[in-house]
Amino acid sequence: MRLGALVCVLLLLAAGEPVTVTGQLLAYQDGYIFFTTGDGFRVAPNVAILNEQTKEPSKQLPGPRDYARAVFNDAGQVVEIDLSDKPYPLEPLSDAAQAFVVTASSPYPNPELGAPAQTTANGVPQTFTGRMVLVKFEVQVPPTTPLNAEVYIATDVSGWNPQAIEMDRVDALHFVVVRRMASGTILHYFYTRGTMQTEEVGPNGLSIKPRELIVSDADTNSTNSVVAAWADTNRPNFLQQPSVFPTPYNPAPFPNLPHGVRTPAPNAP
Amino acid sequence: MIVRIRADRIDFYYDRFLIEADGHVRVEASNGTTITGDAFSMDLKLDRFLIASHVHLRSPGGSLEGAAIADFLAFDRIYFVPVISKPDRWTYENNDFTHPLKGRIMPGDVFYFPDLLDSHVSLRAKSATIETTQFVRFNGVTALLLHQGLPLSSYYVYFGANANLGQNSLSGANLDATWNATGSANSTTALHLRYDAYNHTYLGFEQHMAGNDQHEYAVFSVNPFTSPDKYWNLVTGEHLGSKFEISTFTQLYTYQYGLGMPSASAQTTYVTMVQALNRSYLQDFFNFTNYNMIGPKTAAEPDHPNTMQLSWNSYNDQILKAPLYFQTSFGLGYNHDAYGLQNYGGVEYTTIWNQSVGLTFSLPNVKIGDRERPYDLYYFNAVLNTSRDWNSVPHHVNSQVSTESLSRQFSRFVNSYLSYSVQNTSDLYLQGGYSPSPAILPGGVLYTPFEAFRGADTLRALTLGTTYSASPNFVTTLTFSHHQDFPAAYPGLFSLPPLNAIGGYTYSNYLGQPPWQLGAEVRARVSPHLVLDVQRVYYFHFGNQIWSPSFVVQLTS
Repeated sequence: MRLGALVCVLLLLAAGEPVTVTGQLLAYQDGYIFFTTGDGFRVAPNVAILNEQTKEPSKQLPGPRDYARAVFNDAGQVVEIDLSDKPYPLEPLSDAAQAFVVTASSPYPNPELGAPAQTTANGVPQTFTGRMVLVKFEVQVPPTTPLNAEVYIATDVSGWNPQAIEMDRVDALHFVVVRRMASGTILHYFYTRGTMQTEEVGPNGLSIKPRELIVSDADTNSTNSVVAAWADTNRPNFLQQPSVFPTPYNPAPFPNLPHGVRTPAPNAP
Repeated sequence: MIVRIRADRIDFYYDRFLIEADGHVRVEASNGTTITGDAFSMDLKLDRFLIASHVHLRSPGGSLEGAAIADFLAFDRIYFVPVISKPDRWTYENNDFTHPLKGRIMPGDVFYFPDLLDSHVSLRAKSATIETTQFVRFNGVTALLLHQGLPLSSYYVYFGANANLGQNSLSGANLDATWNATGSANSTTALHLRYDAYNHTYLGFEQHMAGNDQHEYAVFSVNPFTSPDKYWNLVTGEHLGSKFEISTFTQLYTYQYGLGMPSASAQTTYVTMVQALNRSYLQDFFNFTNYNMIGPKTAAEPDHPNTMQLSWNSYNDQILKAPLYFQTSFGLGYNHDAYGLQNYGGVEYTTIWNQSVGLTFSLPNVKIGDRERPYDLYYFNAVLNTSRDWNSVPHHVNSQVSTESLSRQFSRFVNSYLSYSVQNTSDLYLQGGYSPSPAILPGGVLYTPFEAFRGADTLRALTLGTTYSASPNFVTTLTFSHHQDFPAAYPGLFSLPPLNAIGGYTYSNYLGQPPWQLGAEVRARVSPHLVLDVQRVYYFHFGNQIWSPSFVVQLTS
């Protein structure tokens, strides 16, 4: 490995190309510059700190979050730092640059990194890069769902607002919505009809623990759920509504008979 | 673990649950560790933080200087780049600061800062207290909304998995700007600035409390707090064992200026108990209402009805291996009001018993067409709900609702469905019942066709709905409905249901729906954390109804 890196350095030097490293900075201190890869490089005493856009000497010292390119001399010291407002592309450290990394201890393997990656239900290794991917939620609602019901998703990223994500009706029993989320997100959620009094419950009528979805790196994640029942299934006439008082038990099923219509009586023809 | 942060500037990105701090960062953790540095970054959902540049670590293992430290709290792993004579890489396991694993290779991204180029700061603070995987509480806050700063003493964000902290007792509103003033892993205190069509702009107060493991919760609220019409609500819930739960909702209404003597007051309480059984469950529902808590001096109705309904409900069971499901329910109810529930034949019934039986059949997701080509596939769904409710006043109510729908996804962006539903309701008395009486139109004109009504209605609805979803951030829905009902809708004959606070009707099925309706809804994300939803219905000039009463406009986060 070290021999290979040395050969790379010699080849680059022979070609006249200086060794460079680009990326985001972690720290600039104690005669070293550190990139967010965790790698530290020794800085030459007469290092030139330039503005990448103007090529003029920079007015600011390198600091954390700055984007920078480090240019090395033959001795592996950073002789030029180009600071940029715009991100440099993240590139793996070349073998030549790897040879310049300063570290007190010899690296040794981390057994935790050798562990097999988690797999999906299909057996595909699951990775999480944090990129934004599409997540499709599809739900089948109970057959007792009112015809004009609206269905929402409450999640732990919206403070469990029962109307956080509104879904669109697909047919008599299905609703769907697509959202964009970062892969690696662990989402807890459940379905509601707009209030916590009309949240989903289990088939045994008891409230359920929130569902969990781990968003993978796949371009599209999808989840199909079935809501067993709603919390208000058996009391449609007595739905508790904040700021509304219930009317007394009304055995007549027509809530808005027109003016003039007589109420039921035993002597009606 | 609790982590306290101070810095020259602390930024919170609400849409990504990121905290980014810069300048004189000082972090104190409840495990006794203190770390200082120049920059701090924490992903609250991934439960990890990073401190970079001129890091000073003071731990039970001693004091060390370094370039960066990353704490993966969920995994009990700390990755450190110390700078002693030379930089190095140390890993601490299980908070054991006395035995660093020197040189062990680290995961590649442990010291990465998040890319914030397309993100916007939601609030800026001077300090923050974080309980990992639960909440963050900011102090010395400037909330940033539409590039304007609003100073607040504190702000609290809960991001844990305990959904009971989301239980609420407020009615709906068109706009609700919530200031979560303070809180912990088990409580939230919030002040709401709200707007709705009835109360216009007003303040509400809400206090949430929730036990661990979602066993119990309580929510108390006053809303509107700044109007004489006040609703004091209390919501509670408790799991007892694994098969029983009880929840309550109590509301006290007062008409009072400030906290002075109320001139009107009413109260209602709901109690719901659920006992899980083998592939079924029992539900007991109780409601008690006092319409007048002041006494005979006020003009309020003196009624105080109470209701108890006990029901047994089966699971939604599959019939053999056919794609057909059925569900049954039986119910028994007791209803009482000393001032009378129903006058029938000159007798004032103060107590009514009722029994009910219900059956539901459903046929979900029958695929029709080429299964290999999803955009050519049709889905057929059908539901039949039927029930009968007997009352001790000699009549029974039959109800039957059937719905069929056919749907298709035409492309990635467009989905349509066609549904047809018929709802029959009949209220049948053993003796007499509904007599042929003409209804009276506004202006005193008699409407004689209504004499055909004998206590049975049929509501038919044909609906064509199309959703166009250009992207997850922009969705348009068009819904066209044709209602063909008996009794037929006639302009001015039926009163419309009352509207709720956001302009919607308080009940869905009612006599006299406009026969032609075209509803449109547009939903768009207007900022990383806000979704705007606008809805309205066109009634094709049904009487004096051209449009639904108002636009329904909602902003949700």
